[in-house]
Amino acid sequence: MALSADRAKRQANTGLLYLVLFIISALSVLPFLWVVLSSLKPYSELYSKHLAFWPHHWTLDNYTKMLEKMVGFGYYYRNSVLVSLGTVVLTLFAGSLAAYALARFRFRGSQAILLIFLATMMVPGEVGLIGQYELLSAYRLLNTLTGLTLTYTAFNLALTIFIMRSVFIAVPQEMLDAARVDGCSWWETFWQIMVPMGASGLAAAGTLVFLSSWNEFIFALTMNNWSDEARTLPVGIQLLQGQWQHWDYGVLFASVMLSFLPVIILFLFLQKTFMRGLTVGAVKG
Amino acid sequence: MAAVQHASRRKWGLDTPYAFLLPAILIFGAFAVYPILRSLYLSFFSYEFLHPEQMHWVGVANYREIAGDQRVTAWPGIVLPKGSLSVWQIPFYPLVVAWLTINAPGGAFWNSIRFTAMYVPATIVLPLFLAILIERAGRLSAFFRTMNFIPVVVSVAVVSIIWMWIYHPEYGVANTLIRMVPGMGDGFTWLSDPKLAMPAIAAMCVWHGLGFNMLLYLVGLQRIPTELVEAATVDGATGWQAFRRITFPLLKPTMFLVGLLAMIGALKVFGQMLIMTNGGPGDSTLSMVLYLYNIAFRYGKFRFGYASALAWALAVFIFFVSLIAFRLSKERE
Repeated sequence: MALSADRAKRQANTGLLYLVLFIISALSVLPFLWVVLSSLKPYSELYSKHLAFWPHHWTLDNYTKMLEKMVGFGYYYRNSVLVSLGTVVLTLFAGSLAAYALARFRFRGSQAILLIFLATMMVPGEVGLIGQYELLSAYRLLNTLTGLTLTYTAFNLALTIFIMRSVFIAVPQEMLDAARVDGCSWWETFWQIMVPMGASGLAAAGTLVFLSSWNEFIFALTMNNWSDEARTLPVGIQLLQGQWQHWDYGVLFASVMLSFLPVIILFLFLQKTFMRGLTVGAVKG
Repeated sequence: MAAVQHASRRKWGLDTPYAFLLPAILIFGAFAVYPILRSLYLSFFSYEFLHPEQMHWVGVANYREIAGDQRVTAWPGIVLPKGSLSVWQIPFYPLVVAWLTINAPGGAFWNSIRFTAMYVPATIVLPLFLAILIERAGRLSAFFRTMNFIPVVVSVAVVSIIWMWIYHPEYGVANTLIRMVPGMGDGFTWLSDPKLAMPAIAAMCVWHGLGFNMLLYLVGLQRIPTELVEAATVDGATGWQAFRRITFPLLKPTMFLVGLLAMIGALKVFGQMLIMTNGGPGDSTLSMVLYLYNIAFRYGKFRFGYASALAWALAVFIFFVSLIAFRLSKERE
């Protein structure tokens, strides 16, 4: 008897635990789900004082209106994709190559270089905002995708170097020796041994870099806000919000939906990599 | 420990560590180190971007101007409740004072501080609560973890726009729910109320960061050997006792990390204010970074010298607060 009462109590506890967790998780997810559903509602249902989760009439009006009226949106999308991917490729290339040098070689100045990377990581990026603007302006890189890509690369380099350095240090020396005996140059050793061995580290750093450049706001707003051809999604969305908030939130939701959906889907497929990248990033930073 | 190569005798060549470091050093030096140092240099000049020919050295005048700038250093206009207290109010008085203090708009510096004061404690406590629950959820814990992590991958811009609709005075969910409660009237004008705007933004930020900090706590919890808690339970400790005596002390480094990251992030808050309130109503949500951004790019004069000084002053402040936090955490151990 006592045993079964105990069991009933434990089951009730588990039930309560799931209920609480379910409510908290719903609070995290519902706003996004609700944006998706609201973007499929007609104007009259969105601007209603009654709480309705599901659209009464499903409509794609907001999306057709968005494609008609928000001409810049295509540019924002293209720019965000190009800048983020460019940053990931450039950062991983330059960062892992530098990490290789710092992890596997001892040479004069290596400690100093490491220290400079570490020290700069401690300084909030916003401090360089003014200097960056002046620099990009002097070299006519304002409102160019190149300028923004180089900026983001510089920001993400230090962290990438630290992540990859700790990965490369763990690669067994015998593998390098074997490659050297086979006549590989250090450069070839990097590509044939280090890159494959550090693949999961590269993936984690890559998602971290991708996410931070896809979502970055203040530098994109400062450097690339002159024309639609240069704006990235966060800046463009912010601009559309300013123009549309008093007019039609449904159309705005359609654009917001399209801007967060790819990242959420990417995350759902690459969860482990995302979470590893972000925790490693936080602990090192 | 892995053995380390010594750079080959031919010091400058393509197949040397120097060459491997070159791309990173060039990009990092030009686009990260140089701008930061340039900002420091500019902070000692009177310099308007549109009039570079008038640029001249002013020493610490910019920093002195910060100290006297009402929009930065104005003290909070705290209005304490008047009249005598009845007995039952006395225990709540410190809480009332704390609440009024945190809600009193002042200069940008004060606003950044009070945003931090709202954001950091909630960010230390709530994700810990969530992480502990998720750890106990067994097979479903991965599912709950994923769900709560989703907001983390979404940008500040998107989240701000969604929450502006949530806070919409007429059609927003917040007020629709409040109107369902009898006696609550029409709800609040969240973002256009100088007392409510900052807490409303802070609440959004806590929600946005929940999943990320939950993850940090989950990593911290996994590092605690399960045997310790099990042994305590076998010895007759209740769940709460086991948590307080074993889990909590071992989790302190994680709590410190979460708190420190939250604090640094909170002092740099920018996008949420720019999008949702633009610093208003009045200056009640004007943060330090938003103010320096406005000084540099929006008020028309492009005062790069003064804005650089603001940025560096903030960075130095963040550095010292972090240092103090580190000292305190070391002392306690």
